[in-house]
Amino acid sequence: MWQEVAEVVMRSLLISGMATVLAASWSIPIAMILTAKESEFRRTLLDVANALVAVPTVIIGLVLYLLFSRSGPLGFFGILYTPIAITIGQAVLITPLIISLSASVLRETKSGIWEMAVSIGATERQALITMVTESFPRLLTTILVGFNRAIGELGVALMLGGNIKGFTRVMTTVIALEVSKGEFEFALTLAGMLLLVTFTVTAIVRKVGKIA
Amino acid sequence: MKTRWIAVALIVVAVVSLLYIYQSAHYENVLRITTTTSLYTTGLLDKLADAFKQKHPNVLVQFIPVGSGEALRRAAQGDADMVLSHAPNLERRYLNDGTLKTGRIFAYNYFIIVGPGNDPAGITGMEPLKAMAAIYTAGEEGKAKFVSRADNSGTHARELMLWSLAGVNPSGKSWYLELGSDMAQTLMVANEKGAYTLSDIGTYLKFSSRLGELKPLIDKGDVLLNIYSVYVVNPVKVPAVNEKLAEAFMEFILSEEGQRIIEEYGIAEYGKPFFNAVIGGPTEKLNDAWESMAELGMS
Repeated sequence: MWQEVAEVVMRSLLISGMATVLAASWSIPIAMILTAKESEFRRTLLDVANALVAVPTVIIGLVLYLLFSRSGPLGFFGILYTPIAITIGQAVLITPLIISLSASVLRETKSGIWEMAVSIGATERQALITMVTESFPRLLTTILVGFNRAIGELGVALMLGGNIKGFTRVMTTVIALEVSKGEFEFALTLAGMLLLVTFTVTAIVRKVGKIA
Repeated sequence: MKTRWIAVALIVVAVVSLLYIYQSAHYENVLRITTTTSLYTTGLLDKLADAFKQKHPNVLVQFIPVGSGEALRRAAQGDADMVLSHAPNLERRYLNDGTLKTGRIFAYNYFIIVGPGNDPAGITGMEPLKAMAAIYTAGEEGKAKFVSRADNSGTHARELMLWSLAGVNPSGKSWYLELGSDMAQTLMVANEKGAYTLSDIGTYLKFSSRLGELKPLIDKGDVLLNIYSVYVVNPVKVPAVNEKLAEAFMEFILSEEGQRIIEEYGIAEYGKPFFNAVIGGPTEKLNDAWESMAELGMS
């Protein structure tokens, strides 16, 4: 049993970690663009991102399922019911969350650091870089929130992964399955593992953030 | 400077993980089966797959447990090679539109009507259809409740069939609770609310230790016959189906060895078998029962 648990935990970390790296790689630049200058258009986009944080995971799962299905427009990739599909789904899921959180972090640092940097003669580009490096530890926290949302969600993993044993079974889908099998004790053990994992990752990332 | 190293490390991790995921996504022989949940959660399918893998070590059998309705629909969308289902009237629809090739019955058992121990509708010992009518009457009088799966699963399809055969329609009544949940959840809600519900025998047996308030009240009658069939998805209608492998697995399920596994499953743990096997092919009676239930759904 513990071997299977370890396997599922590793798989969850890998899939959700990948999803987080992917999501951060486009969400933070987007947040930078959205906060670099004030305009009606950028504010609207930010409002849209804020609203999308509330989209239910199953809706994202459903939309991507229809896209990735063999009869769907992206069906020829054959990635439905694979870990890649879950990774993409979770990345899409946490994109608005990371954009929204890091935009507010960047906006806060901007009012202080940006203006100071410009006032002591930095170019706009230099000011932007300073702003991002200065807010790095806090940006890391926003990414972490994204990761925790990804690893704790069920809808996307179930719809896009299919909960296939030894392949796309992650912690949340095992918990759901074990509950439906009546194995409450095992489900609770796994829930404990899920919390332990997210605590550990949070602690490690915080440490790394401080060193950097 | 340190920031840059962290960025490099993250990218390396990302690339390595991507390679790992990509590689594991491309097993040569993958057999993808959508299946009814009630069959999967008993654990029987994993056991069958393990035995099958001893003969075909390179094959990867993947089960996707959803309700029968969903299992068939996903197959029609081209996302499975094979379907395991227990809803003859739904199966007939997909046979007619060409999604499925001819199927085979591979196991059966009985649905049971469970309810609170004090049996407020007084159905103990009744014929199944009379019992449904009695629950309806008691419900209207405010003495009984009924919990429905309401999730387009095989069990749900059967429940609707029973109501309509009994000549009543509980839809929309305040005592008729539509959940949209799996069998386990439905049984637990029925247990908490002291309500009646229809269940497959396997799930009920697995859960019975947690269902103190519920008793199996009716477990006999041809209308409660629960027939499990296996279908290979039609490669003409749905391209990219792994037909050869699907047929091999079907042959294995129907073989003497596969049938023995089905027949013995559950005895060691629960004292009773979960399923009856169909060694030597299904009986006339079973085939007729399947036919008549498939017909009922068409009207």
